[in-house]
Amino acid sequence: MAFKKFWVMAYRDLLRNRRRTVITFVAIVLGLTLVIFMNGLITGMLDGMLRDTIRLETGHIQIRAESYEVVKTSLLWRDLINNADELAARAAAMPEVEAVSPILWASGVLGTASESTSVRVSGIDPASALFDPIREGLRAGEFLSGNGRGQILIGQRLADELGVGVGDRINLAVGNPDGVPQEGQFTIVGLINTGFPGIDNANVFLSLAQAQSITGSGNRASTVRIMLHDINDTDKVVAALQTPGLTVLGWRELNELILTTMETGTAVYSILYAIIFLVVAVIIANTLLMAVFERTREIGILAALGMKGRQIMTMFLFEATILGLVGSLFGIILGAIVVYYFSINGIYFGDLGDVAGSMAFGDSLYTTLVPANLFLMSFWMLVVIVTVSLYPAWYAARLEPIEALHAL
Amino acid sequence: MAAIELDHATKIYTIGEVETRALDSVSLAIEEGEFTALVGPSGSGKTTMLQLMGCLDKPNSGTVKINGQDVTRLNANQRADLRREKIGFIFQFFALVPVLSAYENVELPLLLNGVSPKERKERTTSLLEAVGLADRMDHRPDQMSGGEQQRVAIARALAPRPLLVLADEPTANLDTANGEQAMEIMARLNKETGTAFIFATHDQRVVAYARRIVKMRDGRLVDGNANGSAK
Repeated sequence: MAFKKFWVMAYRDLLRNRRRTVITFVAIVLGLTLVIFMNGLITGMLDGMLRDTIRLETGHIQIRAESYEVVKTSLLWRDLINNADELAARAAAMPEVEAVSPILWASGVLGTASESTSVRVSGIDPASALFDPIREGLRAGEFLSGNGRGQILIGQRLADELGVGVGDRINLAVGNPDGVPQEGQFTIVGLINTGFPGIDNANVFLSLAQAQSITGSGNRASTVRIMLHDINDTDKVVAALQTPGLTVLGWRELNELILTTMETGTAVYSILYAIIFLVVAVIIANTLLMAVFERTREIGILAALGMKGRQIMTMFLFEATILGLVGSLFGIILGAIVVYYFSINGIYFGDLGDVAGSMAFGDSLYTTLVPANLFLMSFWMLVVIVTVSLYPAWYAARLEPIEALHAL
Repeated sequence: MAAIELDHATKIYTIGEVETRALDSVSLAIEEGEFTALVGPSGSGKTTMLQLMGCLDKPNSGTVKINGQDVTRLNANQRADLRREKIGFIFQFFALVPVLSAYENVELPLLLNGVSPKERKERTTSLLEAVGLADRMDHRPDQMSGGEQQRVAIARALAPRPLLVLADEPTANLDTANGEQAMEIMARLNKETGTAFIFATHDQRVVAYARRIVKMRDGRLVDGNANGSAK
């Protein structure tokens, strides 16, 4: 009964100093919106990074020789897969598999008469849908053709650096399995710009057959890369493809670095959230303390009427709760709108590729709207607000009635 | 048994190094239904006396008994309970809760006392009628004159049907007409309800309404007759 009246009093008290209430309310809304936006941005950034890396670099699943180490781009026959085509055919027959193709990787040096730079050579099947993302990145010339003899596809940035263009001939040196450098002259058929500097700056693409012949690898491949229709089928397909002597890696193993970064990132950003929450907390505490000071005499009157400290405290906590609930509601709505907007339109950030290193990283960031996070953030905001209002409320409750009554 | 009884109650305020004996070993008994003026110059201890009677403060020594119960031993919550049930306050400033209407202000002590909705409505309405504010029930304090606000405060003080009402300079901020009206209402309600009224004042017109006068000076009672109880 009396509780209901406390809500009414809390609500009306909030309306008394409208300007202050509005400012506090705005602080909560903006604070929450900012936290929700940051969360959407980070989630989007990490999700996007993972998605793009899977799409452009790792695929959902790779089959490799047990001894293969991706950083070494070894061409030793024992590190390569002998029956890559057979494995690819087996995977392609599975309904979960969208695209599959063998790839041969090698380290090489790309050179013109005056310039040279080290690159990673990827031998790919030009016909495979697996490389559609790279095909889509074609900015000039053509994609590799059928057997790709004498053809090379290089990143636009790489071409700019070396001062070459479509139609130019360029030198590529790779080590063969015996470590003997093999050189070949190639014609640049196309320039690509995938938007992911990790690929555009340091990758060249040959046809698989061409790569196999220059490296003397026969029909061997470094990996068989597989894209699935649904990422959730990964474990199932990985299990089905297990073959003695080979290792089958799912996207989690293939992207351990990104996943670790995601975890660390989330932890680091928690500190930023905490800072924003803290700022809002200080504003709330200030607002309520001012309210307590302003209403000291009223608190004295209420105490004289026989209201207990606990009840006076409740009244101020109710004020904080109303502020928190209404502020959180608007914060959720505004935050969701902002995050939704940037999940569609993206935020242009420019080239972050160098910062991101080898991970695929576009030039726009898209936020990701995670409804559960909206509510989690609002819940924490509410917890923070009610927690910091405990002090002003307690302060009000512990005022001595006579001193409170004498306050002007 | 006296409604309220002070026995050698002493209250000392210490500000810095200076001790002030606001109340110096005062003994006084107030019977149920009394209508008593507490008179004396500023600083004579009237307000301190009311605060002790109202369980807003504790004496340094001596006792305060309400209905025979020693209230000096009670903790803050117990004193709040006692105030809520037994004591009504009327202050010099019109101490209404600004965010509540006249009706809600009078109803508040009843809500705190857990009175049923039906009875709350009856009591609140009849009290506001009794103070002549039947048509102002929904007005907030800032929409009412000082006289009207003080009448709401009188109604609120009486709402819990207290043993006694303590009024500290109830007419000090009212003009003559409103002051007299407030006093007449209090005198009438005192007769009708049997609630004891004690008002601190130095307004002679207020004193004229009193049936008993207790004079104070320098924290002591000065009128010999006032010191004795009616026992």
